[in-house]
Amino acid sequence: MSIFSELRRRNVLKIALLYAVASLLIVWIVDHAVSGEFAPIWAKEFVLLLLAIGFLVALIFAWVYEITPEGLKKGVDVDQTQSIVYKTGQKLNAAVAVLAVLGLAAIVGERLLPEFELVRLEPVEEIPLRPVYDSSESVGVPREITAYTMANGLRIVVWPDHDIPNIVMYNFVRAGGRNEYPGITGLSHFFEHMMFNGASELDPGEFDRIMEAAGGANNAYTSNDLTVYQDWFPRSALKTIFELEADRLQNLAIDPDVVESERSVVYSERRLRIDNDNDGRLYEQMLANAFVAHPYQFPVIGWPSDIENWTQEDLESYFKTYYAPNNCTMIFTGAVSPEEVFLLAEQYFAPIPRQLPPPPVRTVEPEQAGERRLLIEADTETPLLHVAFHAGSAADPEARHMELLLNILVGGDSSRLHRLLVEEEQLALGVGGMQMEGFDPGLVYFYLTLPPGADVAAVEARLLEELERAAVEGVTGAELEKARKIILADYWRSLSTINGKAAALGNYEVFTGSYENLFSLPENVSAVTVVDLRAVASRVFRRANMTVGVLQAAGEET
Amino acid sequence: MRPLRLSALVLLLFASGVRADVALPEFERVELDNGVVLLISEKHDVPLVGLEAVIRGGAIQDPAEMNGLANLLAGVLEKGAGERDAAAFAEAVDAVGGRLSASAGLESVRISADFMAHDAELLIELLTDMLRRPALDAAEFEKLRDRSINLIKAAKGSNPGDLLPAYGNAFLFPGHPYGNPVGGSEASLARISHEDLLAFYENHVGADRLIIAVVGDFNAEAMKRRLSAAFGEWRSAANDESLVPVAQKQEGRRVLLVDKPGATQTYFWLGNIGVAVDYPQRAELNLANTVFGGRFTSMLNSELRVKAGLTYGARSVLTRPATPGSVVISTFTETSTTTEAIDMALDLLEKLRDAGIDEEMIDSARNYVMGQFPPRLETAAQLAAQFATLEFYGLDQTFVDNYVAALGAATTEGIAATITDVYPSPDNLVFILIGDAGKIRDDISQYGPLTELSIQETRFRP
Repeated sequence: MSIFSELRRRNVLKIALLYAVASLLIVWIVDHAVSGEFAPIWAKEFVLLLLAIGFLVALIFAWVYEITPEGLKKGVDVDQTQSIVYKTGQKLNAAVAVLAVLGLAAIVGERLLPEFELVRLEPVEEIPLRPVYDSSESVGVPREITAYTMANGLRIVVWPDHDIPNIVMYNFVRAGGRNEYPGITGLSHFFEHMMFNGASELDPGEFDRIMEAAGGANNAYTSNDLTVYQDWFPRSALKTIFELEADRLQNLAIDPDVVESERSVVYSERRLRIDNDNDGRLYEQMLANAFVAHPYQFPVIGWPSDIENWTQEDLESYFKTYYAPNNCTMIFTGAVSPEEVFLLAEQYFAPIPRQLPPPPVRTVEPEQAGERRLLIEADTETPLLHVAFHAGSAADPEARHMELLLNILVGGDSSRLHRLLVEEEQLALGVGGMQMEGFDPGLVYFYLTLPPGADVAAVEARLLEELERAAVEGVTGAELEKARKIILADYWRSLSTINGKAAALGNYEVFTGSYENLFSLPENVSAVTVVDLRAVASRVFRRANMTVGVLQAAGEET
Repeated sequence: MRPLRLSALVLLLFASGVRADVALPEFERVELDNGVVLLISEKHDVPLVGLEAVIRGGAIQDPAEMNGLANLLAGVLEKGAGERDAAAFAEAVDAVGGRLSASAGLESVRISADFMAHDAELLIELLTDMLRRPALDAAEFEKLRDRSINLIKAAKGSNPGDLLPAYGNAFLFPGHPYGNPVGGSEASLARISHEDLLAFYENHVGADRLIIAVVGDFNAEAMKRRLSAAFGEWRSAANDESLVPVAQKQEGRRVLLVDKPGATQTYFWLGNIGVAVDYPQRAELNLANTVFGGRFTSMLNSELRVKAGLTYGARSVLTRPATPGSVVISTFTETSTTTEAIDMALDLLEKLRDAGIDEEMIDSARNYVMGQFPPRLETAAQLAAQFATLEFYGLDQTFVDNYVAALGAATTEGIAATITDVYPSPDNLVFILIGDAGKIRDDISQYGPLTELSIQETRFRP
C-alpha cells in the first residue's frame, strides 16, 4: 500500500484541503479587520503563524486518529472492516464545498453588500507609537564620508546625502581675531567682506551675481578663530561654485576704491551690532578686560581706528598667508559624490600654491590675577549683567564637561538658573550662557537682562552663589542625564539637514583634528560623570578667575 | 525612507539652469467629527518627530486695547498643564532633550515641537495637556506679562530695529486687526488681567480651530489613533472666528518718526498694503521680490550696500495673510545719511515699477528661487509646518507641487503687470523711522505729514 493511497484513505488529504480553504477564509477576514482598524497590525502575521502550526497538528491528528461511531480512536485501534473513513470523507468534501462557497460569496459580496460595522473595542492602543527605523541606534563613522588632502595642502571632506538635489559647501579658513594684533584688528572680518568684492576677471558684486544666477546663495562669518565661507546651491551649480571659489582664492582683487567703500559697510555693521546694541557694547568690553595678553581680547569686527587705517600692504600680506590652500578645510555635503568633488578640486584648486604656514599664536593668557570689574553707563531701562570665567579650548576634554554643565545651568526652561533667577525669584528677564570653543583657552560666559530698577549687585551675588553651589555640591545624576539627552537630541537635529552636517563635520575636523570625532559624541557624552562636572565647575567658577561687566543707566547704584 | 519625491531627472544638468521639481511627500489627512484636522506623514531618515499645532485666531482676535493677549496665552500654555506645574512641564520637555514652544502670530497660535522619535508618546501627552488641560495659573500669567513688558523695554535699548514691524503695522493698518502688535505694547499688556486670559482660552481655543501636523519616524496608523483618541472628544471654541476686513491701500504719504535720542543710526520701514496668501500670480510676485529686495544681489541691497556702502543690508518683504497684508522696504543707515538712503530706496521703487525686470534677470531669479527651494522642505519640522500652513489657508498640495512649474511659466509681461499691481508708487507710502529726531526731523519732514512719538512711550500706535 503506497503512502499516498493511505493518506487518501485516512482522509489526510481532505483534511489538508479543508484546512487550506478555511485558512484562506480566516486570513481574508483578518486582513479586512486589520485594514478596517479593528485589529493591531501584527495580527495578520500572528494568525498566519497560528494557522501554520495548526496545519501540522491537523495533518498529524488526521493521520493518527480516525472518527468511529464510538468516537475518536487511534487509527491503529480501529477494526478496518468497521471503518467509516469513507463517510467521514464525504462529510469533509461537503465542508470544503460549503467553505469555498462562503469564501467566494464573501469576496464577491464584499462590494455588493452594505458594509457591516463590527463593534469597536474601546480605544485601540495596540500599535506602539515608537520609532520605526530608529537611526539613533546607528553608531560609528558613516562609510560614505571620504576625506582627501591635496598636494598643495587643501583638505576636503565629502559627505554624500541625496535626500534633496542640493549641495552645501563650507570653507573653513584658519584666520580669525586670534591672528590679529594692534593695528590690524578686524582684518580677518574685513576679508570676509573683501572676498565678495571681486577677483581677477570679476568686478565687485559679480561673484554674488553669478552665484545667485546659478541658483546658489552664500554667506560667511568670522569668529575669534576662523573665517568660514558657506555656499548653498543646487547640484546644477557645482561647477560654477568651483570656478568662483578657485578664482577668489587665487586672484582676489584688492582694489583701493573698493576697500574704502567696504570700510563704510563694516562701520555700518559695527554701528548695528555694537554701538546701537547694549549687549554688543558690553560684550566687546568684557573680552577686552578678561584677556590682557591673548588676542581673544580684540573685537572680531575691529577697533574703529584700525578699521580706518589698515593699509594695502596689510591686506595683501594677510591674504597671501591666511588664504593659502594649506590653511583651508573644505566640506561638501549633499547631492554629490567624493569622486566628482576631488576631480573638480584637482582641476580648479591644484594650481593654487601652498604657502608657508601662518605664524603660530604664541601668547598664552596668563592665569588671571584677581577679579576684574567694569561698568558702562548707557541710556537704558533694563540693566545688563555679564559674568565670564576663563576655561578651556575646544579640544580640551573639559569643554565637553562644561557643555553638559552649561546645559544644566542655562539649557532650557527647567535649567537651574532660569528656574531660580527668572521664574522663582524674578531677578532677571532672561539668563543665558555659552563657552567660547576655539583653538586656545576661551571663556565661559553668562549674560543676564535685568528688570528696570533691579539691584544689580544682589543679582550678581545670587548668580555666584549658584555657581559656587555647582562647584561644591555638584549636580545630580538626573540633571546629568537630562543634559546628555539635550545634547544628543541637538546632535540628531544638526544631522537632519545637509547644512547641519557640513557645519558639524567642519567644526570637528578643524577644532579636534578629525571629523570622525563627531561620531563619538554620543559615546563621549555617556562616559561623563557627575564627578567630572563638579571638577570643571570648581576649577572654573572662582572669583579670581572672573570678570564682571554691568551696563546700566547713569546714576544708578552699582 | 521616504524623502522628498525628487525625480531623478532633476539631477540632470540643464544648460539653461536649475530644475528642481519639488513635491510634498505623501501625507494622510483626517478630519475628526469635532473639526480637528490631523495631517500625518512618516519620515524615517533621522530619529526625530516634528509637530506643528495651529489654533486659528491669533493677535487678530485680541480685544481692543488688549494687544498681546493671544501671545500671552501662548506663553502661559507652556507654564503647566495636566498634572504638571510650570516647573514640571519644563522639566518633562528638557529631560528628553525635546524642543517645544508656543507663540502667537497675527492669525494663529502655534505650538512647534521637535522631539526624539522615542519620545513621541510623551510629546502627544504634553500637547494634549497644553491644549485641553492648561493650568493657566494666575501667578505664572502675571510673571509672564510683567516680563513681556520689560523685554519690550530691553529691545528698545538693544534691538530697536526689531520693533519696526510693530510701529509699522500699527501705522499702516490703523483700526484694522493687522495693525495689532502681536507681542502687545507695554501699555496694552499692563491692561490685561487673568480673567481676560481665561476668557480668551474659552472663546478662541477649541477643536473647531485646531490643526495638527506631525511628521517623523513613527507608524502613521499609530499616530493617527493616538491623536484621534486625544482630541476626538474635545469641545469647540465658544466664539466664532471674526472675519478680517480687507484693508484699504494708503493713498498719499504719512510719516511716523520714533525718537530715540542718541541713536547713531536710523532704522526705516516704507510700506503699503500688499496682497493676500491666495494672490494668483505668486510665482511672478516672488520672482519680482527676489530681484527687488529678496536676495543679496537684489536691487535694494546692491545699490544701498554694495555700491553706496550706506547700510549693512536692505530688503523688501511681503507679508501675505488671509486678506491683503503689507509690502515693505526696510533697512538702516548712519544718522547723517538718512535721507540719502531713503531717496535711493524710493528711486529704486520707481525704477522697478517703470522699467520692470529684464529677461536675463528673470532667469537669474528663477534659478535662485528654484535652487533655494528644496532645503526649505528638508526636515520633519519644516514639513509639518508646511502641511499645517496649507491646511490653515485652505490650500492644497499643488501650492507646493506646482510651484516650480509656475516659476518656469512666468513671463516678462506677467511679472511687469504683477509689479505695478503689488508694489506701491513712491507717492503712496507710509514711512516709519526710528532715530534721533533732533538730528533728522528737519530733513525728513519733506516726505509728508509728520507724526512723532518718543521711543519711551508705552505704545506703538501714535
